[in-house]
Amino acid sequence: MKLRFWGVRGSFATPGPHYLRYGGNTPAVEIVSDAGRRVLIDLGTGITELGKQLMAGEFGEGRGTLPVLLTHTHLDHIQGLPFFTPLFIRGNSIRILGPELLGEPLDQVLQNQLNGHYSPLYGLENLAAGVAIDTVQPGSSLPVEGFEVTAAELPHGGMTVLGLRISVDGKTVAFLSDVEYPIAGPTPAALALASGADLLIHDAMFSDAEYASRAGWGHSPVSSAIAVAERAGVGRLALFHHSPDSTDAEIDTIVAGARRRTSIPLFAAAEGPAFPI
Amino acid sequence: MHVTFWGVRGSYPVPGPDTVRYGGHTSCVEVRGDEGGCLILDAGTGLRGLGQKLAAEQGGQPFPSRHHLILSHVHWDHIQGLPFFQPAYLPGTRIGIYALRAAAEELQQVIGGITRHEYFPVPLEAVPAEFEFHEVTPGKGFVVDDFEIRPVALNHPFGAVGYRIDGDGTSLAYVSDTAPFTGLLHKQHFLAGPEEASDEDRRVLRAMRDDLVGVLRGCNTVIFDTQFLPEEFEKFPHWGHSTPDHALDLVVGLGVRRLVLYHHAPSHTDRMMDAIEDTYRRKGNSAGIQVVVARERMTLQIGQVTDPGFGP
Repeated sequence: MKLRFWGVRGSFATPGPHYLRYGGNTPAVEIVSDAGRRVLIDLGTGITELGKQLMAGEFGEGRGTLPVLLTHTHLDHIQGLPFFTPLFIRGNSIRILGPELLGEPLDQVLQNQLNGHYSPLYGLENLAAGVAIDTVQPGSSLPVEGFEVTAAELPHGGMTVLGLRISVDGKTVAFLSDVEYPIAGPTPAALALASGADLLIHDAMFSDAEYASRAGWGHSPVSSAIAVAERAGVGRLALFHHSPDSTDAEIDTIVAGARRRTSIPLFAAAEGPAFPI
Repeated sequence: MHVTFWGVRGSYPVPGPDTVRYGGHTSCVEVRGDEGGCLILDAGTGLRGLGQKLAAEQGGQPFPSRHHLILSHVHWDHIQGLPFFQPAYLPGTRIGIYALRAAAEELQQVIGGITRHEYFPVPLEAVPAEFEFHEVTPGKGFVVDDFEIRPVALNHPFGAVGYRIDGDGTSLAYVSDTAPFTGLLHKQHFLAGPEEASDEDRRVLRAMRDDLVGVLRGCNTVIFDTQFLPEEFEKFPHWGHSTPDHALDLVVGLGVRRLVLYHHAPSHTDRMMDAIEDTYRRKGNSAGIQVVVARERMTLQIGQVTDPGFGP
């Protein structure tokens, strides 16, 4: 199993010289199994570059199949969708699995993103690729061929998002982003998703000091990520969904501080080459 | 009057090492009058940085402030900075939004639609600032602060407007986004490829071009959507954008002193932009027009072209 971060930034893309090492694209994570099967998590701006690279292979020939796990539809998690080149090639098949959000059907939310006011695509029906959109129930295992995927609800401000546990080749990755736990601490569902994972990717948008003034925003301080990692007994922790106000130097400081507080190996997620789990 | 570019990119923001010098944020330009009046042209991702600056100028204090957002259209790359505009979260702020009503939906409904709970945690109605929505009609001028503004229709999917802004004895035009006025006429349906223009379409295109030429005549500085190079335009003539050649052809002979290339394709790296600047600066020189490539955080004085060979 290999994993690649295409976008690690939360809320807002951050071009510019101070964001080059960790990267400024919004959330997108690619997992590829040893057998070459691929699954994508979220559709932030990071997928635009992935899309271009996929075009060199079967997606360029209209023979690509891609399952996408969508945690929720806040803009930073879907804004790459209209610019994902494989969607414009007839024959490609892209299946988006995601939650219903506060009563809004997922297909309607994505359809509205592409309506004529906002996009020259005028709607999902104009994408040349076959696009299937399935609403999934949290607490269930998701039908993604070649992978074992479990989804559960995580609290995110006034709503919930999908947390994910993805296993293949005897390895497990847990993806818990856009989550803010109650004062009592990590929820049982979060701990169950992360339990014994080889890699936990966790929302760590704020340093603990920053979090003091941002409680209720739906995001985690670094200490929440560490708490889940320790209690779930994970192999490694990747801090994810960096604040758009955190420069490379500031993320370095957050990582150094976090390493002093736990014996679990940890790093800040960064755009870059795929690495083995 | 001077302008500062906060976002110069089209389509979507492009972080990374290849866009450090020209910038990766999407469309947003700050216009400042000599007396302090301020207009914000488009609300792409560049608006976040501008909002931070404006909030800092306000000292974070909740005393009343007014902002004017003048939108060319509401495709995502021109509005997605709005939910991240810091002054909107300071009580007492008033924000006027000027935009084309392109369909039956009210402006408030369309612009508020990007902050519905499925897209953003804070809906427009819950933001402390007070919003006023003003419908813009091409051909019908209006005044904001010390600026006289003339909207003009552009050729872009679902409709867009350009603006000429007169103030402090000089003038600026913002022409983004637009396809050229030859070829196809953009309407309100999806184009999978170039569509043959009817005789009526061609008549409408000629009238649009005439109106735009009338508005740009004698304008000091023109900021123009030049997303594509000619070879890219060949492939995507139905995407609603122009090349620097289209822009130059349009403004030559109108007394325009300076043309600013703007709304760069996300695929254009800094090195490509250097080459574009080199090519079109020379083409502009031979036509008597100073060509400048927009870069993030660049400020231009309007009415004071200082390059050798170009008077004010």
